[in-house]
Amino acid sequence: MQKYSVFSLFKNALKGHKDWQVAWKDPNPKEEYDTVIIGGGGHGLATAYYLAKEHNITNVAIIEKGWIGGGNVGRNTTILRSNYMHDENGLFYEKGMELWRNMSQELNFNVMYSPRGIINLAHSDAQMNAYARRGNSMKLNGIDATLLGREEIKKLVPILDFSENVRFPIFGGLMQPSGGTARHDAVAWGYARQADSMGVDIIQHCEVTGFDVVNGKIKGIKTSRGNIKAKKVGLCVAGSTSILAEMLNMTLPLETHLLQACVSEPIKPILDHVVTFGAGHFYCSQSDKGEMVMGGDLDGYNSYAQRGNLPTLQHVLTEGIAMLPFLSKLKMLRTWGGIMDMSMDGSPIIDKTHIEGLYLNCGWCYGGFKATPVSGWTFAHTIAQDRPHDLNVGFNLNRFNTGHLIDEKGLGTKTWIS
Amino acid sequence: MGQNFRLANLGLINRDKKISFKFNGKKYFGFEGDTIASALLANGIHLVGRSFKYHRPRGFFGAGVDEPYAIVQMVRNKETEPNVRATEQELFEGLDAKSVNCWPSVNFDIGAINNFFNKFLPAGFYYKTFMWPKSFWYRVYEPFIRKAAGFGVASTKYDSERYEHKYEYCDLLITGSGPAGLAGAYTAAKSGARIILAEEKPRFGGSLLTSDVNIGNQSGKDWADKIIAELKEMPNVTIKNRAQVFGYYDHNMLVMSEKVSDHLPKSKKFTPKQRLWYVRAKEVLISSGSIERPIVFGNNDTPGVVLASAAKEYLKVYGVLVGKKPLVFTNNDSAYETAIEFKKYGIDVIVLDTRINPKSEIIEEAKDLGIEIKFSHVVVAANGYKKVKSAQISKLSDNKKDLGKIEIIKCDCICVSGFWTPTIHLSSQSGNKTKFDEKIDAFVPGTSKQNETTIGSANGIFNLEETLKKSFEKGQELAKKITNNDLKISVPQVSEKKSTNHDKFWCVPLPDKKNYKRFLDFQNDVTVSDIELALREGYRSIEHVKRYTTLGMATDQGKTSNLNGLQLVSDVENKVVPSVGHTTFRPPYTPVSIGAIVGREVGKHSKPTRKSPMHSWHEKNNAIFVDAGIWLRPRYYKKGNEDLFEASKREAENVRKNVGVCDVTTLGKIDIKGPDAAEFLNRVYTNAWLKLPVGKARYGVMLREDGIVMDDGTTTRISENHYHMTTTTAQAANVLSHLEYYLQLVWPDLNVNVVSTTEQWAGAAIAGPKSRDLLQKLFPDLDTSNDGLPFMGYVESKLFGVTAKIFRISFSGELAYEVNVESDNGNYMWEKIMDIGKEFKIQPYGTEALSTLRIEMGHVAGTELDGRTIPYDNGLDGLVSKNKDFIGKRSLNRKAFIATNRQKVVGVVPLDKKTSIPEGSHLVVDENAKLPNPKLGHISASCWSVEYNNPFSLAILKDGKNMIGKKLFALSPLKNKSIPVEIVSSHYVDPKGERVRS
Amino acid sequence: MLYIFCPHCGLRSQNEFSYGGDATVKRPALNKEVSDEQWNNFVYNRKSPRGKHVELWQHISGCRQWIKVQRDTVTHEIFKTVEANKEI
Repeated sequence: MQKYSVFSLFKNALKGHKDWQVAWKDPNPKEEYDTVIIGGGGHGLATAYYLAKEHNITNVAIIEKGWIGGGNVGRNTTILRSNYMHDENGLFYEKGMELWRNMSQELNFNVMYSPRGIINLAHSDAQMNAYARRGNSMKLNGIDATLLGREEIKKLVPILDFSENVRFPIFGGLMQPSGGTARHDAVAWGYARQADSMGVDIIQHCEVTGFDVVNGKIKGIKTSRGNIKAKKVGLCVAGSTSILAEMLNMTLPLETHLLQACVSEPIKPILDHVVTFGAGHFYCSQSDKGEMVMGGDLDGYNSYAQRGNLPTLQHVLTEGIAMLPFLSKLKMLRTWGGIMDMSMDGSPIIDKTHIEGLYLNCGWCYGGFKATPVSGWTFAHTIAQDRPHDLNVGFNLNRFNTGHLIDEKGLGTKTWIS
Repeated sequence: MGQNFRLANLGLINRDKKISFKFNGKKYFGFEGDTIASALLANGIHLVGRSFKYHRPRGFFGAGVDEPYAIVQMVRNKETEPNVRATEQELFEGLDAKSVNCWPSVNFDIGAINNFFNKFLPAGFYYKTFMWPKSFWYRVYEPFIRKAAGFGVASTKYDSERYEHKYEYCDLLITGSGPAGLAGAYTAAKSGARIILAEEKPRFGGSLLTSDVNIGNQSGKDWADKIIAELKEMPNVTIKNRAQVFGYYDHNMLVMSEKVSDHLPKSKKFTPKQRLWYVRAKEVLISSGSIERPIVFGNNDTPGVVLASAAKEYLKVYGVLVGKKPLVFTNNDSAYETAIEFKKYGIDVIVLDTRINPKSEIIEEAKDLGIEIKFSHVVVAANGYKKVKSAQISKLSDNKKDLGKIEIIKCDCICVSGFWTPTIHLSSQSGNKTKFDEKIDAFVPGTSKQNETTIGSANGIFNLEETLKKSFEKGQELAKKITNNDLKISVPQVSEKKSTNHDKFWCVPLPDKKNYKRFLDFQNDVTVSDIELALREGYRSIEHVKRYTTLGMATDQGKTSNLNGLQLVSDVENKVVPSVGHTTFRPPYTPVSIGAIVGREVGKHSKPTRKSPMHSWHEKNNAIFVDAGIWLRPRYYKKGNEDLFEASKREAENVRKNVGVCDVTTLGKIDIKGPDAAEFLNRVYTNAWLKLPVGKARYGVMLREDGIVMDDGTTTRISENHYHMTTTTAQAANVLSHLEYYLQLVWPDLNVNVVSTTEQWAGAAIAGPKSRDLLQKLFPDLDTSNDGLPFMGYVESKLFGVTAKIFRISFSGELAYEVNVESDNGNYMWEKIMDIGKEFKIQPYGTEALSTLRIEMGHVAGTELDGRTIPYDNGLDGLVSKNKDFIGKRSLNRKAFIATNRQKVVGVVPLDKKTSIPEGSHLVVDENAKLPNPKLGHISASCWSVEYNNPFSLAILKDGKNMIGKKLFALSPLKNKSIPVEIVSSHYVDPKGERVRS
Repeated sequence: MLYIFCPHCGLRSQNEFSYGGDATVKRPALNKEVSDEQWNNFVYNRKSPRGKHVELWQHISGCRQWIKVQRDTVTHEIFKTVEANKEI
């Protein structure tokens, strides 16, 4: 594989960039693989990469219905964080942060990991206390966190609304300094390129139409490009999980919902952190291109449409202006929607299933992007070893039977309330 | 400076009104009706900005919403606005604009150094480098890139403008007032349909304003004016200019932004800057027209290269010449109109036509006028840096692949036309799957998904006669569907000289050994070689191409570039365009002001505020308020220099010692009536309700079906079939919906009705050892003894003539009563209580003191009932009936819920009896354990116990019931605190509950 | 914004309603022994179909009635709405 570096860039420039090789090939599916990963999104690509790298399993295919990186890894707001209260989440996502820190170098692909700090604003003492509970939990789990007062926030992000003319004044906030952003597409492409180089077949435009299960054991999958035999199959299809589950006669604690996001026109640097509004649901960061990247609530009804409605964005942007009044004079440039696999306790599922050789990775809600590396890392482990890693043992499917739920928000099964 | 490029007496601008404005600090003049672009061009200014990546000089390319580059920073009414499109912004007196993305000036821009390094900056170069040293991306490269990126500068001041929303319903919405839109609107309006006609530009008429056509023996423009005048007089017609329909959403909801005041120096009083219209239309006629697409050639980004249609618009609408030595480069007939217009005004023009020997009336006319036409010719490259100075042209081989000898001809502008791209954004947004039309080399709408019909050039029809005919028909058809009137309007006679044939040619090959940049996306600096590189590297899906190169992701969203990009991908990949497919069209069609989307819900109005009837009393008595959801509640009443701690301590102590009064209006209240009400409550709450006597209240806990506590409160049996339920402030709305859900869907057989009465009652909690004495004075006729009104008793009485409900319930743990009166009497009640309470040393108390009182009593509240706990966790075991079923009961016997070491609420006291334990601290065995340090529980609520005068906290602790007496550490690493604590019972004060019964 | 037909009030915009999820999930009868699986199917497991979905909405800013709506989860098209006590 070609190495990317400033030198290779220079060398290729002199040859008019004619010698660059493909980042990944576009092979036809083989008849059989050791492992098939369904879903060429971030999680699927990362899983294949770690299967090859950590477990030396390279006879692997990624089966993607459309183009790789076209799901939520290509339509999110690029936020990285591990600021969770529950141990299962905190420790899991912190492992993710560790993988993020080295990703560009490990993948030899600049994913623009930018630990600019994420700040959750609080608008009451009660909220400050709730953040303290979360922040202390983070600290005790070895995750960086600081609780900031109003004046400290003002110094960091003076552009927030500190005036009298606000409905919910800023009391302070919880900051995870190592939280930040990364370039979402690059993550998918970087994993794809490395996985490909280690022998993984990335098969695009290939839709799964069924499964071959014999005596409770997976034997292969049926696709729009023919049947593929496989000893093990991993599902990494986020919002489409319920569709595949139906083919397997499984009903899961999941609902698919629609989340919109939008960007403004690009402006000169004005916001250096990721900031979230505490009296509602709004988050914002500024991309390297200068666009304000913004999101918030779900549209609030089951949907597989990657298109939403304006009132939801209106509601989200109302909170946006409440937090960052300067947004008012900017223009909304682009909106988009993605479909989210909302789990019934808000936490993911990475587990084996009752079908031998079939593994499940889903339930990411609207927080899957930051999990990309660690989801792949633990899912690869789960598939390769046929048992979960300590980090994902809590994310089992059986927790809905036993009551060992991991509910960060305490909202229960109404997945559409975000 | 004079307007040297302005022709006399031509155009639709108001020459009587001269307007002065500034650009890059220099003063210029234009006329009312100009845009910034037309006024600058009139003054001979072409250089307006710099491109995103290479900082190459950029001028004006279009004349409207499709403009890829001419973006300026503008000051209007002392407020700065970033990213204003100069081709759309109308001129007003005092307008002050400047170039962006250049430093120190647009003329001399340091960033242009990037242009010399462009070889090293191909598409996606940043993915391949800037990786080492590891921390440098965030610390060095990224800040540098961020600074270089972005266009305008956001204002840091408040937006003083007002934005309004309007909700409208209509039979037919027509988007665009060109020939198709006018014809459709006219028939529908005449048939009596209620229509809205929206035009994005200031002037109605669309292409009719500039094209050389006749309709019914008058010019296209005169015909348009006449139709518009007639429509404006009709009562069933709403007609809006400067109104952009930018989004087509579900169920025929469209949204349009109307720029009400943007063209004025400042907004008039009571007039918004912009108005956002949510329009629910029965039918939609999409007549949004088409956008000219360029032909790609070398250095085609040089200022002076403009779309032929834009050149014509500058001439015919604004009387402005984009150049005095123009070259027209086309593959179709429409650009001939531009050439003829130039010629008409005495400007010599040369036409290069890629076609071999096309024939049409308009070409004959051009020839007759003496215009020089070179068929089979192309512009190979533009010469000039900040302005076109000449063009390299060449003959094109018949197979369109090879160039001949390069010739240089002098020119000062190149007007380019590569045919037309239908504006299918709205129909595509509606869910309509587009199809590729080979005839016009572009996508057109396919089958309608919602009630939408696309007409005219937006539907790929470029012949005027056909457009009018079909649009009249569609208008008639839709109007008939809605109004039942079948009004047929005959199509007037149309004469049009141009044909619709065009050459399928879109990109000029490079001459040997030349490496000119050929731009597809002008704003994002995406060139032909960038796309080729992306494909070479395997980014082959059109979405990968877009994301890797940023093609079409600029503020114009690729209106002039996307189709050429597709052509290129299909050429290189040897596929047909439809199989390459296009990227998704998403709202908004063009960027929309966020202020307009949000409207009036800004500042204090970003969310509603709910206040109790006693609010003004609290205000007058120095209450400091706290947000409880959207309610405002007094947190404490400040006396002198007291802080929160001192005031709440005083208030709580007074409750324990004398009597206090607290406004509890915000508690949710639900009236429950019906013969099955008792049975219903018995199913809703975890405890037994069938035997509650009339005149008694009971505390209850309700669960979600997953076994988690949803809410708690007291419910009182007012009469045989009538109950009064209270909920927490936060859950009031959810509980009501919850009850309605079960009554309407699960147990419709139960004869029960529920209704919210939260707003109907004002509530005051009177608490403290002297509360009975006070109550007696308030209700002299009432028997307030333990027999007359026992704990959990309820009576109705008169408070100085006003009907009052009196509940003997207590949250504070003291002897207490809650008095409810109708909301209108709330303040009356409150003042009476305060007045009569004086002799008992009454003081009002806020939520902070209330918290203190409940915490030291061990009463659980929101921080314990946090959506993650079950009744057992909260010490409410006794309330969970074993003998009956209820909502959520089945979930309670799950493994985790019945575990013997299940978490439980406990009391926590610091060993030193001095150090307050911050809420949100965690309890651990070993304060120095290595991380992750196992957490046993967390501090859910803390207070200063007024009873014992030391800190006291509640905690949810693992295996809580077996931990009493144990010593642990409460850690708050956020605050660098480690506090040795002892676990005690959560019922710190009056554990037997004697006071409430006293 | 969806346009929902309330069988009691007529066509109303979505912002008058609140969503209530899958309407095909039936609560097991009170006092009836149900297996863990049956109970979990009621509390947690959802089909979440791609296509026609029968779901609950409550007309909270109107008549406060819960209604059943059959809607396509891909196109959002609404085919039918009925009162709470009727089946689709």
